[in-house]
Amino acid sequence: MKRQLALLMALVGSAILGADAAAQQAAPDFSGIWTHPYWPGFDPPLSGQGGIVNKARTPNGVGDSDKLMGDYESPILKPNAAEVLRRLGEISKSGVTFPTPANQCWPQPVPYILWTIGIQFLQQKDKITILYSNPDHETRQVRMNATHPKRVAPSLYGDSVGHYEGDTLVIDTVGVRTTRPFAMVDVYGTPYSAALHVVERYRFVDEAAAKLAEQRTLKENIAIPNNDSGLIIDPNYHGKALQLEFTVEDDGVFTKPWSASMTYRRAAGAWPEFVCSENQHQYYADKDAQVPRAEKPDF
Amino acid sequence: MALLGACVGVLIGPSANGAGAPQIPDFGGQWSHPFLTGFEPPKSGPGPVTNRSRRPDGVANFGQLVGDYTNPILKPEAAQAVKQHGDISLAGRGYPTPSNQCWPGGVPYIFWDFLVEIFQRPDHVTMIYRQGGEVRHVRMNEKHPANPVPSWYGDSVGHYEGDTLVIDTVGIRIGPFAMVDMYGTPHSPALHVVERYRLVDYDEAKDAIDRNAKENSRGGENWGYDPQYRGKVLQLHFTVEDPGVFTTPWTSTITYRPAVNPWPELICAENQHEYYNNGDSAIPKAVKPDF
Repeated sequence: MKRQLALLMALVGSAILGADAAAQQAAPDFSGIWTHPYWPGFDPPLSGQGGIVNKARTPNGVGDSDKLMGDYESPILKPNAAEVLRRLGEISKSGVTFPTPANQCWPQPVPYILWTIGIQFLQQKDKITILYSNPDHETRQVRMNATHPKRVAPSLYGDSVGHYEGDTLVIDTVGVRTTRPFAMVDVYGTPYSAALHVVERYRFVDEAAAKLAEQRTLKENIAIPNNDSGLIIDPNYHGKALQLEFTVEDDGVFTKPWSASMTYRRAAGAWPEFVCSENQHQYYADKDAQVPRAEKPDF
Repeated sequence: MALLGACVGVLIGPSANGAGAPQIPDFGGQWSHPFLTGFEPPKSGPGPVTNRSRRPDGVANFGQLVGDYTNPILKPEAAQAVKQHGDISLAGRGYPTPSNQCWPGGVPYIFWDFLVEIFQRPDHVTMIYRQGGEVRHVRMNEKHPANPVPSWYGDSVGHYEGDTLVIDTVGIRIGPFAMVDMYGTPHSPALHVVERYRLVDYDEAKDAIDRNAKENSRGGENWGYDPQYRGKVLQLHFTVEDPGVFTTPWTSTITYRPAVNPWPELICAENQHEYYNNGDSAIPKAVKPDF
């Protein structure tokens, strides 16, 4: 009996090990170019409390992408954050574009950077490198199967660690630097504190789910099929889409955690060369940003 | 014969990982070459523009970039451009370059970067240059389009020749600060750069490492390599031709060693500090915000 039990335990043990190995082998392959050609905000969450949406609406009720007026009355905001949003919204309402990481060519912190039109994953065993298209020189590095250091030195993209849970890539980020200009978590200018904690979950969904997600995002955002990045959704591709759900918590700024999603589709077109320093054109407002100019060179 | 060629092509294709297929060399990882201005003189033949300004020990003086406008590779107009840049340096000022103006570098300028990480996939090779956060994409086993649209990094196509990754780049846009090196050597739309990457034994690379030490100065300790390292190094041989600017093709090398330190997060927009001359760049500042 004892021997049978030992044998049984050995069998169970090897079954678990086998399952573990299978889970590792089944790590989803996210390679290739993915696109989310919608502007300006994140997609609404799949469920639960969402992030900040645009208070400015078009006559048909969709977010007005010409004005970025974050809803400062959202219950997720603590008073200081609400005041920041209200002030930035007033600037936008007056027709002036307020500075953001994207329009000032500054690195875009997590989760702000998730707005980007194109995304690529370079998956390695111990590391994932994520490339973003707007501009094309932003890259994030995710250490796989690692833990955050006890004391994280704040950095522009924070300390990101990741692991796979079955078919899902989970990335956990803390330590996003606050001592920098244009520190914000979204295009509306919602601030963050040193307590910012973002969890991203990426997995494949089928085309039907992607189309549902598109319907949801078009209630808040506009499609930008002819965007500067040149990336469009591949009309001939009917395979899986890459869906991201992310949760943001920051008790320095928010009263509760909130979530949003992004559904990236397989892109047609080559990865763009999209250089921020030359990009004065704000395609969403269809005008050029002001940059300092000299009448004559200094030398 | 054509059929045989096609069959061989399949065998050495990047997807052929079966038994008997040649191994694609693995250049993955982070590589360090923390030297300024970066290009190593070739063993022989025409080489890159070097610095006329030298330190007492004979090494190029990075604090004063005075390109050698008498280098016979230069056509007269190009020599004049190099001289003009050198004169600005001699007058004690800095001149704008892609790297100090946070603009894309293009090839071969970008090879100055201390750190490069290479990602090899069957259809693409991606290169991230960490210093400037610049990213290049190389399409594998493809041809240049008949009329490439000029772009910052040009149109790069690659293939493997045995143990060597060969990258061919044309179509590099003439942007502001268009230059192939830190001395302001210009280029024309005819610029054509061929890179050949290969892992070589330390001993084989030793003479290139020694030539580098005589020409280039160390650019800081934070992006280093292990000086005791004697394993394989990644050697880039590149050839530059541009009949619009150069009298002859010229070559240079960059000998990378594995990077040992965690990669720094370097952001050009916030980097006002010019570590080489220990001063800050002037950037426009407003006395009060516009709104």
